[in-house]
Amino acid sequence: MTFKPLNENDTVNTRTLLHEAIPLTGAIVSGTYGTNNIKTYSHGMFESVYDYPYLSSSANHIFDLTAGLHPDGPIASTDTQFTKKRNIYNQMAQVLMGYDATGSIQKFDEDGDLLLGGAKMQEIIVMPFSRLLTKDEVKKETFELTLGINAGYNSAMNSLITISDVSASSEYRVNSPAGDYGILYATNSAGSTFLNAAASNTHTSSIGGVKYWNAGLIFYQAGIIVLTGSIFGTQLTAPAVDMDPTNLAHIDELMTGSTIDQISDAFRHRVYNMQFNNTTELNSTVYFCRINHNEFNYSSNPTYLSGSRIQVKNQATDEPVAYITTVGLYNDNNELLATAKLSEPLKKSASNEFTIRTRLDY
Amino acid sequence: MGFLDNSGDIILDVVLTDHGRMLLAKGDGSFQITKFALCDEEIDYSLYDKNHPSGSAYYDLEILQAPILEAFTNNGSTMKTRLQTYTNMELLFLPVLRLNERVSINKRASNGAYMIPVNAETEDNSGSSTSLTGIGRNTDGSIREGFLFGESLVGTIIKVDEGLDTTEISPKRRLDDELKETSYAVQMDNRLCKLVDSQGTLASFDYLDDDNIAYYTVDLGDTFITDITNDTVSASEVIQGPRGTRLEFRLQSSMDLNTSPYLFNQLGGEVSMPTQNAAVGPADTLFIDSNIRVVGVKTGVMMDVPVRFLRLK
Repeated sequence: MTFKPLNENDTVNTRTLLHEAIPLTGAIVSGTYGTNNIKTYSHGMFESVYDYPYLSSSANHIFDLTAGLHPDGPIASTDTQFTKKRNIYNQMAQVLMGYDATGSIQKFDEDGDLLLGGAKMQEIIVMPFSRLLTKDEVKKETFELTLGINAGYNSAMNSLITISDVSASSEYRVNSPAGDYGILYATNSAGSTFLNAAASNTHTSSIGGVKYWNAGLIFYQAGIIVLTGSIFGTQLTAPAVDMDPTNLAHIDELMTGSTIDQISDAFRHRVYNMQFNNTTELNSTVYFCRINHNEFNYSSNPTYLSGSRIQVKNQATDEPVAYITTVGLYNDNNELLATAKLSEPLKKSASNEFTIRTRLDY
Repeated sequence: MGFLDNSGDIILDVVLTDHGRMLLAKGDGSFQITKFALCDEEIDYSLYDKNHPSGSAYYDLEILQAPILEAFTNNGSTMKTRLQTYTNMELLFLPVLRLNERVSINKRASNGAYMIPVNAETEDNSGSSTSLTGIGRNTDGSIREGFLFGESLVGTIIKVDEGLDTTEISPKRRLDDELKETSYAVQMDNRLCKLVDSQGTLASFDYLDDDNIAYYTVDLGDTFITDITNDTVSASEVIQGPRGTRLEFRLQSSMDLNTSPYLFNQLGGEVSMPTQNAAVGPADTLFIDSNIRVVGVKTGVMMDVPVRFLRLK
C-alpha cells in the first residue's frame, strides 16, 4: 500500500492572527529621498508615497495622501480644486461612513457617535495605507503618528504631538460600512507641550489621566486614516501653524487655497514618525499524517533493492527500515496536490511511529 | 531526573504543487485532500552499511546526514519513490519491474530506446513499394527491431514484467498477493503520444496535469495487464524468481507530432537514420527523446522507459 487515507479525525481547520510591526520613519515621508519617492499624478487627486524612489523596481508603495472638504464647510466654489476636494470627501465618506436613513452621505464624525450629531470633520486629510503594509487589517490600539506642530515651518519638529488610537482595543466603533474603526486622539509627545496653553483645558477626552483631543478616525480593515485638519488649527496650537513654506498659510487657508498635492506636501513635511501593527488572518488546514508502527516500513526507492533483495536487511527477520524525507498529499484520483519536506531524513521502522502535522495555509 | 526531549514534534508547512493550484483555481471540488503518501527520493540506500564495525548505531549514519531539498512544486518531479506498507515484516525481497526483451518484437533499438516513427511517411512511406525513404523497415521489408510505428500501431510492443528478480527463490513459488501488482499508472507527455494496448486500442487518461503529462491507470483484467503464468526457468522470462503481472503496450504518436515538425524543432534534434533502401542512403530525421514512466499503484515499483520519436525532415 502506497497511500493512506485521511479521515475526518485527521483534518482540522485553524485560524491564526499574525501581527507584524510596521515602523515608518518620518524622514522617508518628508525628505530622505526629496520628492523622488513621492509620485504625483496629472489628475491631482492624490499623491503616493513610496519607501524608495518610485522609479526603482525596489520601491514599495506605502500610502497615499489626499485631502477633502465638505461643501458645508467654510469654503467657496471658487476655492482651488473645490470640486476635487469635495469629491474626495464624498467618496471617502460614502465608503467609510455610509449613508443615513435618507440616503445622504454621512459626514466624518469626530467621536463616531452619528446619532447624537456632535462635531463633524469638514476638512480632512486622508491616508489610505497600502495593502502591502496593512495586510488584512491594522491591529487595534497600535497606531501611532507623531507630527511636528511647531508654528514655524522650518522648525516644525520642535513641538510634537502624538496621534494614536489609545484604548481602541476595548473601545471601537462598528457602525461603518467599511468595518471597525477607532477614534484617533492627539496628545503631547513626551518632552513636548502644546503651544496653545488654553488647549489644555479644551481636551475632549481624558484616558488614564492623560488629556486627549479628537484628531480623526482610523478604519482598521480598510487601512485608512482620516485626520481632521484642525489638528493644525488654533484649537491645539497658538500661534497657528505655518503649513506652507512660501506664503506661510495656515491650515484653513491651505485647505481652501492650495491644491491637494500642496496640502499633501505640507502634511508630509510635518510627519515625524509613524508606526502600527498589521494583522494577517491565516486560515490553515492541518492534516495529521499518522504513521503507525506497521506502516511505511519499506520503500520503492530503486536503491532500496539490490536485484530484488532489500539492502537494509541481512536476513528476513531483520527489522525493515525506511527514511522519510517528503510527505505528499493527494486527492482521490491520486493527483499530487501538495507536498511538505522534512529538514532531515526521519527513520521509520516497525519499532516507532509518528504523527506528522502538515499545515496548509490559505 | 532529566526532561524528556520534546524536540520531535513534527510540524511541516505544505506547499501546493502547480497542479494543486490549478485544481484549486478550477473550484470544481477536485481539490480535496483525502490521502497521503511518504517519499524518500533523496535517500541512497546503498549507503546503509549493515556491516559497520562500530555497530548498528552507525549503519545509517551517512543516510541520516543526507541533505534534503526544499519542496518541488512541480507535481511530476516529486514523490517518485514512495514508502510502502506491507503487512509482512519479514520480507527480504520486493518486486521490481524489468523490460522483457527476450523476444525480438519486444526489444529496444540498438541505441537503448524504443523508436517511434510518428507518421506513415516516416514509417515506410505509407507502405509504398516504390518510394523507400522511410526509416522503419529493413531492406527486406521487415520492421526494424525496436521500432514501434506510431501511426500504424504495428511493430514493437513494450513489455514490462513484475516480480522478484532473484535466483534465490524459485519461480515456482507464488508471489504474495500484496507483492503482486494489479494496477499500473502510466505517465507520458500528452503532446507526444497516447497509450494504446498491443492491439492498438486507445486508452483514455485519468487526468492531464498542468504540464500536459497524461496519467493513465490500467488494471489487471483489461487488455494491458496479464498474469505471468510461466513458472519455469525459461529463456522467455526476464524475472528469475516468482512472477507477478505483465504490462504490454504500444504508443500512438500525437496529432501534433504526426502532422507537424513544430515540436521536433522545439524539443528535439536531428539525426541521420538509415532508410529502407540502402541505395537512397540515410535520411535526415528529426527526433524527440522522452520517457514513459510506469509505476505500480500498489507496490510503488517504478520504471522509466526511454522512447525516441522520429520524423523525416
